Amino acid sequence: MAGLTLADVRFWYPATERPALDGVSLTVAPGDVVAVVGAVGAGASTLLLVAGNLAPRVTGGRLEGSVRTAPSGIVLPTPWTQASGMAFSVWDEVAFGPANLGVPRDEIARRVDRWLARLEVTQVAARDPATLSGGELQRVILAGVLAMEPALLLLDEPTAELDPAGAALVWRLVRELARADERCVLVATSDLDAIPAFATQVLWLQHGRVRAAGPPADVLARDDIWTDGPGATTVAGLWRQAGLAGPVPLTVADAVARVR
Amino acid sequence: MTPALRCDGVWFAYGASPAVSDLSFSLAPGERVALLGKNGAGKSTLVRLITGLLQPAVGTVWVGDWETRGRRPEQLARRVGSVFQHADQQLFASSIRADVEFGPRALGLPRAECVRRAAAALSALDLEPLAHEHPYDVPPPWRKLAALAGALALEPMLLVLDEPTAGLDRALRGLVARAVAQRAAAGVSVMVVTHDLAFAAEALDRALVLDAGRLACDAPLAELLGDAARLTPLGLVPPAVAALSRALALPGAPLRAAEVARALASVARPSRPV
Repeated sequence: MAGLTLADVRFWYPATERPALDGVSLTVAPGDVVAVVGAVGAGASTLLLVAGNLAPRVTGGRLEGSVRTAPSGIVLPTPWTQASGMAFSVWDEVAFGPANLGVPRDEIARRVDRWLARLEVTQVAARDPATLSGGELQRVILAGVLAMEPALLLLDEPTAELDPAGAALVWRLVRELARADERCVLVATSDLDAIPAFATQVLWLQHGRVRAAGPPADVLARDDIWTDGPGATTVAGLWRQAGLAGPVPLTVADAVARVR
Repeated sequence: MTPALRCDGVWFAYGASPAVSDLSFSLAPGERVALLGKNGAGKSTLVRLITGLLQPAVGTVWVGDWETRGRRPEQLARRVGSVFQHADQQLFASSIRADVEFGPRALGLPRAECVRRAAAALSALDLEPLAHEHPYDVPPPWRKLAALAGALALEPMLLVLDEPTAGLDRALRGLVARAVAQRAAAGVSVMVVTHDLAFAAEALDRALVLDAGRLACDAPLAELLGDAARLTPLGLVPPAVAALSRALALPGAPLRAAEVARALASVARPSRPV
């Protein structure tokens, strides 16, 4: 079973006339990591809200088209608004999700310990979530969503608050979850440099429509994503800026191979 | 010349262990400084000390010739414009323009001056087309720019920006870089807390790195970004621009995109006689 199938989805926020999503079709299968890119306002966050059954259920508005989605967990771009506010310790915060799903007590404990360790935040387990740094809180929120073990993981800018080491940890984890655990992952990110290492597919949204979709090496190497889109990786941009021809390299390693 | 900012032996602790320890440095007018370091290194704490939201336990923070001690954040706002890490919590008015005007109004400036400053700040960030929108009707990245416009409209001597490019796309990052360059050229000191070293390499000149609350490095940014052996222990990863420059041993070890692209063109297309 696919984790997520959208067919010709249109979505309007309340009291708006232009659709935020305008005919989007997409399938995310187990093992897929789909990176959603686009300019601000292109619809990436809205796509995640629809995939997570939060739009229109929570946001209001109007949906057309078909949405078939597996049980999902979403990580919002604003971790400080996602904390439950009900937990006095990080450990309880991460336990909050699985507890609400009725997971047995000893299984909750195993999951909380496991995901705190995977996200390298075990050392703050006893802290009050309100006292964490932005980067610590973002990893704790991600641990809380993973502790619910959703089949479909929806991540909206999950590394915005993280330092480079923290961001690298999250991208590695995303790839492992898809490869080893057969999760489906849909991730909106402006960290275009990270995409070649973790994504199996790139979906480029523009004005709520799919402008291009395919493997990172195809989509990020397009001429028009550079001239008319969010851009590509830093290396691809430098290659174009240098006026160099031919297949555009995406990573430092690609570029070194091309030059030598 | 009086520094725009001076920290003199500053300590602060939330609980038992210090969040910042014995910080001393100063910023000259027009300097563009990146405040770097791992999550939890003390960067946001330092920002709160500079903006007067916290007071040092020991030591003194000076903004120009004002000591922050005994001054409320709203008094310091005459000299320090700041954008919080979570800037979308910083907006409250019914339109972006009204939000940007609020700062100058709260300073008691005449109406016409408030309008002029808001218009200048909005156009510095290309926000005029969105000025009539309710802040919460626009996506978070634009809210972030609106908060930055609010700080610019104060026309302070010191701008302190906490992660101003997080979640912004390439075009919006370019707008932030442009606004920083304009203000610095006008003599405003700019301190940017950031994990975005690519942005730092383009827009800023000097690096201050905190590690476990201490000032671990104060160096020209170009020098630091070119030195992977110094970056790694500080939890920093060279941005792709610097990594490419280094991997190809580009002549002159350039770090800014335009210079790297020029050097790349010369390396990839060697001018050999055919």
